[in-house]
Amino acid sequence: MTELIKEQHLLDTITNTFKLKGRVIRDRRVEVFADKELVSSILLFAKNQQGFIHLAHMTCIDWIDENKFELIYTIWSPVEKIHLFVKTKIDRENPEMENIDSIWDQANTYEREMREMFGIQFPGLIGEQDFVLEDWDEMPPMRKDFDTAKYASETYFQRPGREDAKDVRETISERSGTKVPDFAKKYSREK
Amino acid sequence: MINDKDSQKIVDFIQNFARKQSLFVMAYGTGCGAIEIPATMTSRYDAERFGIRGAATPRQADVLLITGYLATKTLKRVIRVYEQMQEPKYVIGFGSCTINGGMYFDSYNTINALEQYIPVDVYINGCMPRPESVISGFVKLQELIQQGKADNGKKYRENLEWYRANQKKIIKNWKMPDYNW
Repeated sequence: MTELIKEQHLLDTITNTFKLKGRVIRDRRVEVFADKELVSSILLFAKNQQGFIHLAHMTCIDWIDENKFELIYTIWSPVEKIHLFVKTKIDRENPEMENIDSIWDQANTYEREMREMFGIQFPGLIGEQDFVLEDWDEMPPMRKDFDTAKYASETYFQRPGREDAKDVRETISERSGTKVPDFAKKYSREK
Repeated sequence: MINDKDSQKIVDFIQNFARKQSLFVMAYGTGCGAIEIPATMTSRYDAERFGIRGAATPRQADVLLITGYLATKTLKRVIRVYEQMQEPKYVIGFGSCTINGGMYFDSYNTINALEQYIPVDVYINGCMPRPESVISGFVKLQELIQQGKADNGKKYRENLEWYRANQKKIIKNWKMPDYNW
């Protein structure tokens, strides 16, 4: 394994500036853990001082046991060729996070998606309330406590399964009055 | 002359024969199944020898292919397209997703049984069905047309209230034009 000099240097710069914890995951992957108040400062610092000019992705994880949402900002430096993950945890009740679409315009799209799918509020976010879903009035669907199977079975018509529950080849052969060929029996579920 | 019973039979036969030999398929692909359509249409399987070809607009089309999962948002557009089509019109449900939801059976956003929302003539199972299955589905539809059994446009018109009730259960904000066919 080669020495991860530039990754370690970047990690030290950011963690010493903001007094954070972080680690080098592997070559070209660095992550730092921050409080939610510090995130926009870290992103601005990384963008203006360290050359992380591209917001590659923004996503959210629902840690239902800890009662937290984890927000992950993935930013990319085309010079250093490093992905930096800025991770923060926010409360699950009345989740609110700072709006960063003044730093990167494309954050608007991700934030609207998170508002719809997790119910996280971003004050000052511009855009329609509906993003992908139409006329959704249930709990935000990507939350872990949303029971999607139960919702689907209550909302949509279900087709009952076959009663015989036999191998489909035998059912078809009985119906059409033909024999199952020998080579197909090899793959049959009923041995 | 046409009111005579035997000659009506002959007229029906010729009419159905003509209809089954020129199925214009609405060029509208939902879900992932539309990728099988180019394979079916191009030279290897050459669906045009059965009279199957594409149509650009709903008013010119005979067949609506539902090629895969239907999100509730897409269902709205599908209903709109189906209602714009002229009779006789046929629907082919294509792939497991239209039959019972397929791998999206527990999704919060896809419907599970298509025939509750629009009448379906033929289902083609498989995920994905190969071009052979697609053509066999079309041949089945042609048989139904020849026998005069494929009259789902009429069924939809007569049971419109039942279909509308099912559709409005999913599409809560109903802002669609009403047609009087």
